[in-house]
Amino acid sequence: MTTLAVENIVAGYEKGLPIVRGVSFAVAAGEIVTLLGPNGAGKSTLAKAIAGLVPERGGGIALDATRITAPAHALVRAGIAFVPQTDNVFARMTIRENLEIGAAVLPRPRRAGRIAAMLETFPALAARPKLPAGRLSGGQRQMLAIARALIPEPRVLLLDEPSAGLSPALVAGVFSGIAAIAQQGVAVVLVEQNVAAALGIAHRALVLVEGRIAHDGPAPPLRDGKLLARLFLGRAEGAEAA
Amino acid sequence: MTGTLSYLAFFATEVLVNFIAVLGLNVQWGFAGLFNVGVAGFVGIGAYVSALLTVPPWHGAPGPGHIGGLGLPVLVGWAGAALASAASAAVVGVATLRLRADYLAIGTFGIAVALHELAANAQGLTGGPFGIAFIPHLLATVPPGGLARGFLDLAITALAAGAAWFAIDRITAGPFGRALRALAQDEAAAASLGCDPRRLRIQAMALGAAAMGLAGAVQASLIGYIAPDNFVPILTFQIWAMLVVGGVGSHRGALLGVLAVWGLWSAAGGLFAAILPPSMATGGASLRIVAIGVAIAASLLWRPRGLSPPGRIVSRFLR
Amino acid sequence: MNPQFLADGILTGALLGLGGVGLTLAYSILRFANFVHGDFLTVGAYAALVVAGALSQFLGGSGIGPFSFGWPLIVALPVAMAITGALALLLDWLLFRRLRRRGEEIVLVMASFGASLAVRSLIEFAFTPEPKYYSRDLQIAMPLGFGVRATPDQLAVVVLAALAGIALHLLLTRTAMGRAMRAVAENPELARVAGIDPARVVRATWWLGGGLAALAGVFLGLTVQIRPYMGFDLLLPLFAGVILGGVGSVPGALAGGMIVGVAEALAVPFIGAAWRGGVAFLLLLAVLLVRPQGLFGMER
Repeated sequence: MTTLAVENIVAGYEKGLPIVRGVSFAVAAGEIVTLLGPNGAGKSTLAKAIAGLVPERGGGIALDATRITAPAHALVRAGIAFVPQTDNVFARMTIRENLEIGAAVLPRPRRAGRIAAMLETFPALAARPKLPAGRLSGGQRQMLAIARALIPEPRVLLLDEPSAGLSPALVAGVFSGIAAIAQQGVAVVLVEQNVAAALGIAHRALVLVEGRIAHDGPAPPLRDGKLLARLFLGRAEGAEAA
Repeated sequence: MTGTLSYLAFFATEVLVNFIAVLGLNVQWGFAGLFNVGVAGFVGIGAYVSALLTVPPWHGAPGPGHIGGLGLPVLVGWAGAALASAASAAVVGVATLRLRADYLAIGTFGIAVALHELAANAQGLTGGPFGIAFIPHLLATVPPGGLARGFLDLAITALAAGAAWFAIDRITAGPFGRALRALAQDEAAAASLGCDPRRLRIQAMALGAAAMGLAGAVQASLIGYIAPDNFVPILTFQIWAMLVVGGVGSHRGALLGVLAVWGLWSAAGGLFAAILPPSMATGGASLRIVAIGVAIAASLLWRPRGLSPPGRIVSRFLR
Repeated sequence: MNPQFLADGILTGALLGLGGVGLTLAYSILRFANFVHGDFLTVGAYAALVVAGALSQFLGGSGIGPFSFGWPLIVALPVAMAITGALALLLDWLLFRRLRRRGEEIVLVMASFGASLAVRSLIEFAFTPEPKYYSRDLQIAMPLGFGVRATPDQLAVVVLAALAGIALHLLLTRTAMGRAMRAVAENPELARVAGIDPARVVRATWWLGGGLAALAGVFLGLTVQIRPYMGFDLLLPLFAGVILGGVGSVPGALAGGMIVGVAEALAVPFIGAAWRGGVAFLLLLAVLLVRPQGLFGMER
């Protein structure tokens, strides 16, 4: 059952300069799709376009087979959550306030329950709820960012390089957390540079080169690295020649 | 007939004095993207410094203990005016130009407020609310009031404006102007080529303020008298309106803008005087200011490039 | 040191703090230095004057207890806050909203400069430059000890300003809208993906900033006088207080305003009352040179 369908999306910051040039794919409930590709391929832009942060110049997205066009803040209510790569918590606000902001899109009676549920899921956050988020370690920040995004119980979770700046041990922890989230029926789109970690939990992998999909297939065959290297490098050399 | 001619000479003189200040603002905003909210302050510094340098020692002392009155030649006064304005602009630049752009706006606003206060209160230095009188004219041989004096004033102002135009045009067309343009297009690239952005901006700030100071000095010597209320925010608005209406980044456009705004300003004054009863004269003056404020806002909305398209460069802030 | 100057400074500081809050909110949420803000104080003061004048026919014109003001002004105060907030929204809708979309903050500053001129001169046109007063009653300053005297109105203003500061703190920390405002101030893009509607936050910011400016304006009119330039003349000390406290910090704006107010008052015995702007300017320069992020601000 397809949860998120991305249909021939074209996106870029300036008119006439598309960074994402016609990308289509679908993510099912419970599925983890990882977006891989060389630097500058448009992975982050694609995730931001789906989240409504980068203007779409063509195509669009559908959630549960319903086409939606809405500003970023309304997409959150529709069920699409996005965790940016950097600055993904409100550093001057406390852990609890960060979660309360996430809960503000919910009807009032459900807010306290969802915050409590998140604090249960991430006990490290529950210890000092009044700590300013800016004082958290990298791994805890990432946890808080993901917890904030999960509070409204999204159908789709977009993660932009959750491994950035984390030690390998922390990456393993965060990624097993992501796998657990998908198991609860959330469709996960994972943009990653850490190819090994991403392929370790992803069901499917998309390779994006120069704003287009160069490969779309199950994740496990890519794990040995040769096919992936060819996909990354082949196109990159071609680009230099052109 | 004589009346019309002498009014025309007066009008043209005023246009050219304002033009000198607008040239300075064009360097700051049009070329360097620096937002100066204290134009009146820098014009005022020029006027007061030139007055203090040139007023004869035995004249113009409104009270005991009056400082200044050095009796130096008028041209020395003008040069001192330009230098003093440039120096004060550099101080504000040093304090604010490493911060976000609007700190400069606040800093220049502050200098204008502080200068007005200084002018209005430092009796011993500035004559306080009474101002400074007996500021010498460049060529005092022609008695004031007549047509001949009107045209002499126009000629002097035209020379000063021409010199300022020539100098600023040379400077902005040369390496300094090129560096400013590079900075406006891509700060990081310009910095990597060896331009120091902060230093360049401080220089642009000082150069622009020098022109404003000169405008203040020329005006002071033509009228012979200055007072604090000549240098209030409305002057800043007028100079801004002239630049914005004329077209940011083009010196020729600036002249058009001065003509248009000063013409409208004078005409609106005449119109309000004609249609409003004398009891509402102050009200008319207020309405005139409303018109300028609305004109600035409207041209920002609908004609951010001004009346005349710029010759070489548009500030990166006005696409 | 004469404690009377300190007391006067606290009064001015309370007004500067209240006025500065709206300025700092606009600066951090709308991201530009709003030069109309001083004139919002003026608009609020005149709006209250008109409304209270109209109401005094029904509610009686005499003061309550020791105060110079009565029910008309008390009722007029929220009305004036609403009028000023509505004017701020109108200006945003006519002008700032369109310029914000182009994303050039300095053009916004300039437009606010033009709007400031227009608003101030319109007030001057409508009400003449003559000073006006809420009440002609003379108030007698009461001794408070330590040689300090204050009128009942002045005491009321300081107490009400403190209450407004506390209410504001609660609003920003305990309500969803307050948190949303702080979130947008800190990181607008993250706020959007956290589900915060930026347009709502912008509207709330104008309401709040305009309303607090009106409150400060009425208090200023009550303790000094009502003039078309009353707010504009306060703009430099307001900016100085906001930057001293740290742009974007509401407690900083309150504290910064208080410091500027007290500094001005303490300078009076040495250099005279006419030099307030100069004191504010020197404070501003000193802060920018030594600690540009302000006392409560963060490095950006």
